[in-house]
Amino acid sequence: MHLIIKNLSKSFDHFLALNDINLEVGSNEFVCLLGPSGCGKTTLLRIIAGLMPFDSGTLSLGGRDLAKVQARERGFGIVFQSYSLFPNMTVAENIGYGLKIRKWPQKDAEAKVRELMELIRLPELAHRYPHQLSGGQQQRVAIARALAVDPAVLLLDEPLSALDARVRAEMRLEIRDVQRRLGIPTIMVTHDQEEALTMADRIVCMNQGVIEQIGTPLELYTRPQTRFVADFVGTSNLLDPDWIRQTLPALSPGIPEDELQFQLSLRPEDLNVVKDDAGTGIVKAITFLGNISRILIDWQGRELIAESHRFPSLAEGDAVTLQVAPEAGSWVRI
Amino acid sequence: MGTHLKTAAIDHATARRMEWEDRLLLSVSLIIPLIGLLLFFLYPVFLIAKRSFIQRDGNFGLSNYTEVFGMSHIPTVITNSLVMSSATTLLCVTLGFAIAYAMQRTTIRGQYLIRIALILPLLAPSLVQALGLIFLLGRNGVVSQYTGWNIQIYGFWGLLISNSMYALPQAVMIIQASLRHSDSRYYDAALMMGASRWRQFIDITLPNAKFGLLSAAFVVFTVTITDFGNAAVIGGNYRVLATEIYSQVVGQMNFNMGAVIGIMLLLPTLVAVYIEKVSSQRQFGGSSESAIPVTREFVPLRDIPLAAVVHSVGLIIFMIVLTVVYASFMRLWPYRMEFTLANYNITLSGGYTPLWTSFIVSFQAAIIGVVALFALVMAQRRLPRRFAKAIYLLAILPVGVPGLVLGLSYVLSFNAPGSMLGMLYGTGLLIALCNFYHFHSQGFLTMVAGIRAVPPALEETVSCMGGGVMNSLRDAILPFMMTTLVAVFFFLFMRSMVTLSAVIFLISPTLSVGAVSVLRLDQAGFTTQAAAFSTCIMVSVLIALGLMKLILFRLSRSRASVAVVS
Ligand SMILES: Nc1ncnc2c1ncn2[C@@H]1O[C@H](COP(=O)(O)OP(=O)(O)O)[C@@H](O)[C@H]1O
Ligand SMILES: [Mg+2]
Repeated sequence: MHLIIKNLSKSFDHFLALNDINLEVGSNEFVCLLGPSGCGKTTLLRIIAGLMPFDSGTLSLGGRDLAKVQARERGFGIVFQSYSLFPNMTVAENIGYGLKIRKWPQKDAEAKVRELMELIRLPELAHRYPHQLSGGQQQRVAIARALAVDPAVLLLDEPLSALDARVRAEMRLEIRDVQRRLGIPTIMVTHDQEEALTMADRIVCMNQGVIEQIGTPLELYTRPQTRFVADFVGTSNLLDPDWIRQTLPALSPGIPEDELQFQLSLRPEDLNVVKDDAGTGIVKAITFLGNISRILIDWQGRELIAESHRFPSLAEGDAVTLQVAPEAGSWVRI
Repeated sequence: MGTHLKTAAIDHATARRMEWEDRLLLSVSLIIPLIGLLLFFLYPVFLIAKRSFIQRDGNFGLSNYTEVFGMSHIPTVITNSLVMSSATTLLCVTLGFAIAYAMQRTTIRGQYLIRIALILPLLAPSLVQALGLIFLLGRNGVVSQYTGWNIQIYGFWGLLISNSMYALPQAVMIIQASLRHSDSRYYDAALMMGASRWRQFIDITLPNAKFGLLSAAFVVFTVTITDFGNAAVIGGNYRVLATEIYSQVVGQMNFNMGAVIGIMLLLPTLVAVYIEKVSSQRQFGGSSESAIPVTREFVPLRDIPLAAVVHSVGLIIFMIVLTVVYASFMRLWPYRMEFTLANYNITLSGGYTPLWTSFIVSFQAAIIGVVALFALVMAQRRLPRRFAKAIYLLAILPVGVPGLVLGLSYVLSFNAPGSMLGMLYGTGLLIALCNFYHFHSQGFLTMVAGIRAVPPALEETVSCMGGGVMNSLRDAILPFMMTTLVAVFFFLFMRSMVTLSAVIFLISPTLSVGAVSVLRLDQAGFTTQAAAFSTCIMVSVLIALGLMKLILFRLSRSRASVAVVS
C-alpha cells in the first residue's frame, strides 16, 4: 500500500516547520528521512503517525485520506529514540500490549508474542522488565511491540541514536532484515548520513522544513542536486564556475547555463593528487584515517580536500598537481 | 478502505466512540477541579475583598479602612507584625544558610540529628514551639522555678524564637536545594586560578545560593506574618495582625474589620510571592543535569564553629519539643514533677473527638486533593499552551492567600443558611476543602513536576497502539506518577493535621479539630493537657510520615519505579 504525501505544510505559531512536502512511500520500501537536527524530520514523522495535525496538503494511505483518522485508528507502529517501553510490564507484556488493546484471545496473542520474540532473537527474555535489559535489547523489544499489530506503516524516530556504535551497526542490519522479511513500508528518521546510506532504499534529504532531494543512497551521493545535499551527505569541495574556468579548465565544458545558480560539487576521491615539483598546488596537511588518507591542498588560493587510498608518498609542503576526469563532480543548485 | 488497515487498526466506529469517551473524561477532569477552585477559592476571596468595602450602613465605601486605621492600636500592631516578620526572616535565613551549608558542604558529624530536629516542628501545630518555650522559660517554667529569675518570655523574644523554630525547617529546605545544584567544576576552576576559600565562597557559593536565600526569606516572611498559633500562645501584649484579625472576628464579631485586616495581610504576601516569582525566573543557569556535586571537606577553622552553631540550634529545637512531650507526663508542671498519664484523660472541648475529626478531615483533604490535582494536571497537559498557562497561574494563586484570610473568607461565604453552599457550613467536609485549597499550590507544583517525568514517547506509543486516555493513564502515566501521588497525599494529610490558622474560623461547638483543641486547652490554663494533646498529634503525624517513607521505599524497590531511576 502506498503512503502518499502531497503539498503538506505545517507551522508552529509563525515558524514554518514543514514547507510543501511531497513524498511517496511504496509497499515494501524503507525510506530514511535524513537531515540536520531541527529540520522537521520528527514533525513529519509525527504528522504521519497522526500524533500532530497539519495545516494544509494531503496525506493518504492506499487511497484513504488520513487527515481525519486519529493516531489510534491508523494502526501504525512507532518506535522512539528512548524511554518507550512500559516500565512496569515484562518484555512479553510490552510486546503483547497492542494485541491486548485489540482484545485478541490470550492464546493467539501469546503465540504472536512468541513468534516476535524469535524474530528479534530474544526468546529467553520474556519475563524480564525493561530496566533489566540493555539499550539495544530495549529497542529490539520496542520494535517487536510495534510490529505485533501488523502495522500498515512502521515509523522509527532515531531508534538507534541512543545506542553505542557497535550495537548501532549491528542493529542497522537487523532492522533492515526484519523489514525486508515482513515487507512493511518503513520510514526512519535519522540525522546520521552513514545510517541512512547503509539502510535506506530511498533517502529523503531535508533541510529547514523542505525536501532538498529524494533518491537512492547512490543517487544522493553521486548526483547531489543541491549544495546542501552535497555538503550534508559525504564531503564535498564546492566550487564556483568562475574559479573552475580559471583553475580546473578540464571541467569547464560542464558549466550549466544560468551559472550563477550553480556550484560544482567535487568529492575528495574525484581529485587525483600527483607529486610534481612544478605543480602549483601545495600539500597543507595530511590526515591518516586508517584505510584512507585525507589530503588538504592549497590550490590556486583555496583549499581543496582530496582522498587517497593508500598512505600517499607525500609530505606536508610538497608541490603537487591535481588530475580530474572531465565528467567528475555534479553541478548543484546553490 | 484497505484490508490491511482493517486488521491492524481499530475500526472507525469504535475509534469514534473511544474518542468521545476520552473527550468526556478530559473535560470532566478539567472542569471539576476548576469549579472547585472557583467555588472554594476565588469566590470566597472575592467575597472577603468585597466585604471589606461594605460599610455599616450597607453601602460601598472605604469607611472600614478608615475606621481600622483610626483605631489607636492598629499602627502599633502593623509595626509589630512587620518588625516581627523581618526579625524572624533575618534570623531564619542566617541560621538556615548555616545549617544548609553544613549539611550540604561539610563533613560535620551528626547531620542526621539536625535532620531529625528539623522535622520536629513540621509534625505539630505551630503553637507547640510556643508551648515548649513557656514550659522552659515562662512564668511557671522550670528555669524561673529553679533559679528564681524573672524572665520575660511572653512578647517579642518568645514569639521571635517560636516563629523562627516554626519557619526554620522551610528555610533550610529551600536553601539546601539551591546549594545542592552547584557544580564542583566552578570550584576547581577557581582553585586553579588561585582563589582562596573565602573568595570562592564570596564569588561562587553566595551568588549561586542567592535566589535560594531570597526565596527562603520571602517564605519565612509570609509564614511568620500570617501565623496565628505562636502569636496567640506566647505573644502576650505584643499584638500582631494575625491575632488582631482573630480578636476582631471571634471576639467582637466584627466581620468587616476582620475583612479589612485580612486584605492587609494579603498585601505583603502577594508582594512577597510576586517578587519571589519574578526573581526565581531570573535564576541564572548555574546548574545543569550533569553537574558534578561539590566534594565535602573538613576545614577546622570553618567547621568547628559552624558545628557548634548548628548543633546548638538543633539541640534547642529538640529540647523545646521534647519538653512538651515530657511535660505531658507530669502531674503539675513544674511543681509536682511526678509521672502520670492523667493529662491524657482529656475531657475539655470534646476530649479526643477533635483528634479523630482531624484524621477524617485530613484524610478527606488528601483524597480530594490528590484526585483533583491529578485530574487538573492531566487535563492541563493536553490544553493549548495559552490555556495551560492560565490554569497554572490560577492553581498557584492560593499560595498568596494566608490561612487566616482563607478561613475568614470561608465564614463569609459559607455561613449562609438556606443556600446550597451554606449546607456545607459546619461540616468536616468544608474544613477539608479549606485545608486542600490552603495547600493547593504546593500540591499542584509537586504534581506538575511529577507529570513532567512521564516520557511523552510512552503516551504516544499508547495512542499509536490504539489505546485511549484510560490506557495512557494506567500504562504510561501512573507508573511514573505513583511516588508523586503518594508524596502529595501525605503532604496534604500532614499539613491538614497540624494547620491551625485556616480552620480556626470554621470550627463550631460540635465540630473541632486537634490543633484547635491544643489552643483551647492552653487558653483554659490546662497547659499539660495541651502538651498531651500536642504529643498525640505529633505521634499521629509521625506515624503518617513513617507510613509514607515505607510506601515510597516499597515503590522505589518495585519494578515500576526502578525503571524511572534507570
Ligand atoms: N510542538 C512544537 N511547538 C513549536 N515548535 C516546534 C514543536 N515541535 C517542533 N518544533 C520546531 O520545529 C522544528 C522542527 O523540529 P523537529 O521536527 O523536532 O526537528 P528534527 O526532528 O528534524 O530534529 C524545530 O525548529 C522545532 O523547534
Ligand atoms: Mg527529531
